[in-house]
Amino acid sequence: MLDELDFSVGEREIVSVIGPNGAGKTTLFNVITGVYPPEAGDVLFDGATIVGLDPHKIARRGIARTFQTLRLFLNMTVKENVMAAAYGHTRAGMLRSVLRTPGMRREEREIGQLAEDRLAFFGDRLVGYRWGQPAYSLSYANRRRLEIARATAANPRLLLLDEPAAGMNPVETNEITELISRLREEGGFTILVIEHDMHVVEGISDRVVALDHGVKIAEGTYEQVATDPRVVEAYLGTSATEGP
Amino acid sequence: MDWDKLVQLIVNGLTLGSVYALVALGFSMVYGILKLLNLAHGDVLMVGAFMGWGVLGWLGGAQDPAVAVWLLIVLMILVAMVAGGFLGVAIERFAYRPLRRAPRIAPLISALGVSFFIQNSVLLLFGANFRSYESFDLVDVEVGVSWGPLNIWILRIVVMAAALAMMLALWILVTRTKLGKAMRATAFDREAAAMMGIDVDRVIVKTFFIGSALAGAAGVLVGLVFGSINHFMGFGYGLKGFTAAVVGGIGSIPGAMFGGLFIGLAEAFSVGYIEDLTRGRLGSAFSDLVVFLILVIFMLVRPQGIFGKPEVKKV
Amino acid sequence: MSTGSQSPEPPRIGVDEWVASSEGRRARSVADRLQERLERTPAAAKLVALALPFAIFPLLVDSDYLKQVGIDTLIFVLLALGLNVAVGWVGLLDLGFVAFFGLGAYLYASVASEYAGRHWEAQFAVPAIATAVAAAGFLVGLPSRRLVGDYLAIVTLFFLQIWLVVLINASFTRGPNGISDIYPLKLFGREIVSLSGYYYVTFAAFVVIVSFLYLLGRSRTGRAWRAVREDELAAELMTMPVNRLKLMAFAVGAGIAGVAGALFAPAQGAVFPASFDIVLLITVYAMVVLGGAGSLFGVTVGAVVINASLEALRGPDDASWLFYGVVVLALVLLMRPRWLPVAVLGATAAFGVVVHEIAEQVRPSLVSGTTFGTASVDRLVDSWVLVPEGAVGPDGLPAGALARLAYIGLIAAILALTLIRSPLWRAIALVPVLYLTFCVWENILLAQPAVARFVLIGAMLVALMAVRPQGLFGKQRVEVV
Repeated sequence: MLDELDFSVGEREIVSVIGPNGAGKTTLFNVITGVYPPEAGDVLFDGATIVGLDPHKIARRGIARTFQTLRLFLNMTVKENVMAAAYGHTRAGMLRSVLRTPGMRREEREIGQLAEDRLAFFGDRLVGYRWGQPAYSLSYANRRRLEIARATAANPRLLLLDEPAAGMNPVETNEITELISRLREEGGFTILVIEHDMHVVEGISDRVVALDHGVKIAEGTYEQVATDPRVVEAYLGTSATEGP
Repeated sequence: MDWDKLVQLIVNGLTLGSVYALVALGFSMVYGILKLLNLAHGDVLMVGAFMGWGVLGWLGGAQDPAVAVWLLIVLMILVAMVAGGFLGVAIERFAYRPLRRAPRIAPLISALGVSFFIQNSVLLLFGANFRSYESFDLVDVEVGVSWGPLNIWILRIVVMAAALAMMLALWILVTRTKLGKAMRATAFDREAAAMMGIDVDRVIVKTFFIGSALAGAAGVLVGLVFGSINHFMGFGYGLKGFTAAVVGGIGSIPGAMFGGLFIGLAEAFSVGYIEDLTRGRLGSAFSDLVVFLILVIFMLVRPQGIFGKPEVKKV
Repeated sequence: MSTGSQSPEPPRIGVDEWVASSEGRRARSVADRLQERLERTPAAAKLVALALPFAIFPLLVDSDYLKQVGIDTLIFVLLALGLNVAVGWVGLLDLGFVAFFGLGAYLYASVASEYAGRHWEAQFAVPAIATAVAAAGFLVGLPSRRLVGDYLAIVTLFFLQIWLVVLINASFTRGPNGISDIYPLKLFGREIVSLSGYYYVTFAAFVVIVSFLYLLGRSRTGRAWRAVREDELAAELMTMPVNRLKLMAFAVGAGIAGVAGALFAPAQGAVFPASFDIVLLITVYAMVVLGGAGSLFGVTVGAVVINASLEALRGPDDASWLFYGVVVLALVLLMRPRWLPVAVLGATAAFGVVVHEIAEQVRPSLVSGTTFGTASVDRLVDSWVLVPEGAVGPDGLPAGALARLAYIGLIAAILALTLIRSPLWRAIALVPVLYLTFCVWENILLAQPAVARFVLIGAMLVALMAVRPQGLFGKQRVEVV
């Protein structure tokens, strides 16, 4: 449930969305990516509305996401998972694929290379023998990483990360924090993150948007939002702000 | 306008529709609870029809029944219900339960296998010839309700009444009893229901038993009004029953009843009028085409059916 | 780790030989090992292994019957390959598939028969038919594009039903009589009349289609299809147009079925509505899932195995050999330790002798009949199984309640057997069940082998799904529910 939510993300900005469970954070992602149509209102991307487009068309315009509940192509190999996401910016049709035209072969080489590059982003965790392994054989943390790699292979400009650090240990969480900054610097992505871990939020955000019950209750820098009484209230309940 | 024909078609449609509704209920209940399309459901109906036929023969046949006709019919229906119910439970236990965590397509293929197995087993044991209930010997065609242009054979009334009674009983079961509550809870969220202490497996077994018992009874009703049965009859009734369930809104009991009657009437009318409307180009065999078109239109325009709620994708 | 040098090297999570080799440590069956061996085989070698036996088959046999079986088998292989696109790769249950096969056959009849008054050459007719049928597949898929998998199954099944209604009742298809004056294939002005000729034309189509599918499966489209099978929503959000991909899969599968139909019609010389019914549909499904949906090699092998078995089960002679052979083979392959199947079979033999002896003393009518079997193996067991007098009528149908009860009892016994957990008790209980199986086989199933084979196919599908849903050569899939 979202209600009159209004905010924007600038080019190459990292914005975090926070809020207690049920605040509507994932719903926000679903509305942006076209999974649910909004009942009213508009979603603009690059100045044009994307409401009513099929999700794959929205994705092709440059919005890719990860999922809070991992949704990998489990029975495909690690590399194939990433290559599959390049569908939108490749063109070889069935005929060309079957005839193996030079253009098709070049394209395959390119997305193969793209996949290897994207996977190399995570150090040596997802390279080498991992390429050929099915995604289900990966550990939980590696699955999260693969989700990010897959999303970046769709060549997005806006990357939506749904709780990238969920379920990770402190070391891995630190690493994710660093990774998200690198994604912007090296990949040039604009990033919208849903995250519960305040250390991550603090470490990466240019700006933070706090939601509660589908309503934006605060927006600003991490310090501004974290100290906003309404945010504290949303997380801790009324008694905390009013005192005992 | 030929009023007699119209009235007759309505009666035909309602009879057929009440059978479809019974089949649709079974489909709907199982789909609601397991999200599984029980493709073998029509074959349970067929087995029920054969059980009824067996009871009929065992008790002396239609010409010379050993017990009162009403008792005979009740016995036929009861035996078919019990046999159908146990068959359904066996199908669930052996063909579906091992596949709860398998790829989605596996139980469907298993269901195809079950359906094929049952059909060919009956073919093996009883042959391909149609078997007849000889209902006209059982109850004379003249016996019935006559009121103006309305002439309804008593067996048709029996069929409609029996179907209606079973649906009412089911309605009460689902809305008023503890089992019904458990069924609804399991349909809503199986895992949550299990955590609330509901024995989900038992609920599923009971659902299968009830749904399949209704199909078994429907088989006898089909035999009573339409006379002849064979090993392949379940296919058509399964398809129409499923269509009825979709039209009514899968998972919904009033939906299944309404959908059944709707499809029954649609089929009766197209059998009656398709030849006139197409100036003889399409015969009454093409009435299936009309039902198919209804299914397609519903799937395109209102896939959740008349009484259903649109399904929400979970992300 | 390449992320910064300021922090100490974190533990290398997940980079671990133990994880890397996890696949190898799982308990593996014979089929698993077969599947792994297959996976390591290069594609070219697999193609040769597939094509070579087909290529030399007509040189090895000179009976026309076997050549005809060879042609039928190749056509079934084409059908199975076509169905595999939707079922194996995309995970859609297409139950209208054989309608496309029928459409291809009837289209051929409409461009090359006396009835149509035309005789198109195959090099034009076959591609044109493939295109037309693919377009039909696309159209049939359309109403299903908004639907989840299960509804699709029903829409397509209903579509098949409509197709049969049209075939049987429409005048332009000549109803149930079919079209029987179909011209032979004419290729570049030359008519193909010999069986070997037909065989090689079909074989050529097989090579073309298998290569086509192999290349397609490894392309961007094939990857996207598999992604759709794995997770539709994720695929859609990763830029893949899921609906269009599904329709494409439908169309490709239908087109292949159309080619099969266009080759089937002239090979038979006639087309009848009854050739394209549910029985064929389920047979093709059995082929796809037995070999392993998704694997071209598996699907081809599945089609060959099923068609050869169905052919052998037509007559009571080969049927018995096949039946007893498969039972013994299954026991030997599935039971551990190795001496157990020997013990079970020995115990069954002894059990049979005792039962037969008792029956002869107590009720001689139980053993006074003769079996329908004519193979030497039937002669062998004739004085060992119970063959009651007159249990099966002259029409091959069970005459009394006893035979029907025995059949139903057997089904119940086999089902009950699967519920026994303890291997020992299961082996013990297997002995009487096995004996009952042989009795039912000799009395009821062998009386109508043509029906019995479909009973066996149905049972095989259910058992396969429960035991090894990925089929013989399929890769085990992991699902998160």
